[in-house]
Amino acid sequence: MEMQALADASGCFASMEKVHEPAIRQRPVVVLSNNDGCIVAICPIAKKLGVPKFEPYFKVKWLLQKHNVVIRSSNYELYGDISDKMMSVIARFSDNTYQYSIDESFLKFSNYEGVIKDWCIYGHEIRRAVWRETRMPIGVGFGNTLTLAKAANHASKKLPDSDGVAVIDDDYSKKHYLQQMKLDDVWGIGRKLSIKLGLLGVKTAYDLANRSPKSMRQQFGVTVERTVEELNGVKCLNWDDVQSPKKEIFSTRSHGQRIVNYNDLRKALTTHAVKVCNKARQQRSLIRKLYIFASSSPHDERYIKKGIMYDFPLATDNVFSVASAIEQVLHILYVEGVPYYRCGVGAVELEGSDFQQQDLFLSHENPALMDCYSRINQKFGKGTMQLGSESRQEKWAMRREFLSPRWTTRWSDIPEIHC
Amino acid sequence: MQVLPIYCDCGITGFESPSAEYREMGLSLDELLIKNPNATFIGLASGDSMQKIGIFSGDLLIVDRAKEVKNGSVIVANYNGNFICKIFDKANNRLLSASDNHQPVYLNESDIFQLEGSVPISIRKHDDSLNLLAFL
Repeated sequence: MEMQALADASGCFASMEKVHEPAIRQRPVVVLSNNDGCIVAICPIAKKLGVPKFEPYFKVKWLLQKHNVVIRSSNYELYGDISDKMMSVIARFSDNTYQYSIDESFLKFSNYEGVIKDWCIYGHEIRRAVWRETRMPIGVGFGNTLTLAKAANHASKKLPDSDGVAVIDDDYSKKHYLQQMKLDDVWGIGRKLSIKLGLLGVKTAYDLANRSPKSMRQQFGVTVERTVEELNGVKCLNWDDVQSPKKEIFSTRSHGQRIVNYNDLRKALTTHAVKVCNKARQQRSLIRKLYIFASSSPHDERYIKKGIMYDFPLATDNVFSVASAIEQVLHILYVEGVPYYRCGVGAVELEGSDFQQQDLFLSHENPALMDCYSRINQKFGKGTMQLGSESRQEKWAMRREFLSPRWTTRWSDIPEIHC
Repeated sequence: MQVLPIYCDCGITGFESPSAEYREMGLSLDELLIKNPNATFIGLASGDSMQKIGIFSGDLLIVDRAKEVKNGSVIVANYNGNFICKIFDKANNRLLSASDNHQPVYLNESDIFQLEGSVPISIRKHDDSLNLLAFL
């Protein structure tokens, strides 16, 4: 029988902050999102104090101050480096692994009968190795399907009796863990869906597993049917299903310094659009629809939010086309006197560039030019060649007031060791 | 990171260098000094308590978390919220300095003590041509 595992870090970014800073290891730590907007990560100690995740920073500032919580801005350079190391250690434990996100990795065990006798012990070995070598706490969950592995991983971190490892490999363990799991924690079941299912008396993951897959399909579609099957150990999902190219690409930011004039908004939006366009090209996609939006802060007296969907007649990955789309819609978006807090661009409909339907009347864009542009920026660094309308002096660049040193990626920042 | 030294031919004709058969990767200090790259970090020594074994203020310390710590190993630990570099006297549960001016430190239960790793290698610069602050 095949076994799957999911290993992921507890309080990922917050725990990463503690690796090179022993002074804060025993203290509660939270990490804020881009621009110090929301709390995106909380360490286990902060969690025990009742610090909520995904709350705007200014709303919980008092709580953080009361408990003397250490606050950090997102330090992506540091997180990238620690994540690489963590994932390399995890990858030693199976011949077949797949990194799903910056802090999650799947491991597949085919034909391991007799080699690994106790998955629970093996899980603890993985945890110990990762802790010892990278100082990152992780949870490891085992199950026959990806959905069960994800559920077990959830249990390994959330339930008091599992100390970082959970294994779902028989009816007893399945019942034990799934009964304690809320519906919207199940992979693929969102909040809205869980409310609907709740009306049918489905409250826990275990209730869902006991429904007939066919009737779930009739009422909620094939995704929920698959989830039910997977919860019962019937394999429906493969890594390929979870690693397909992104169907949407967004670039959006809130602004440390509000944007109050037309030209600055144009620059900000153009820069986002170019970012999205370059990402699309990297994954060999073309943009069919571009969503362009700008808003003031919802906490302002006068909250203004406008968004426009731009349809390209011919799907594109050309930066000139997306920049001219911004030009065309900007006068509709921009309202004089509004202090813009957030703006962004999203490619919401993408097509594969390998099989593009040509248009009889529209001339094809110059792919060689874009190829050349990509290569120059790859070779000489991001932003070497850019549009005139992009922003250069990033006045609206990220606010990172509580940034920790880049301990492992800058020589000037390496940690001090007292002798 | 593992690098596979495979060279590809790009089809340009001409005399092949007689040394082409013997190409190797250039020497890498990382390869030489860092045995467990995923478990290693580099720190900056500060203080004079380890001078007798050749660790001076401003030296670079390679800290390996995977390497086994033995009695008498040079170690880095989290001691009450600071990274410290000492010699680990496991048998007597104390930390030794390599200096006549520093007394051994006995570990109490009230101390926070987390062994971080051992220091297999330290690096010293002999003039000021290497300025860490200049690397941004």
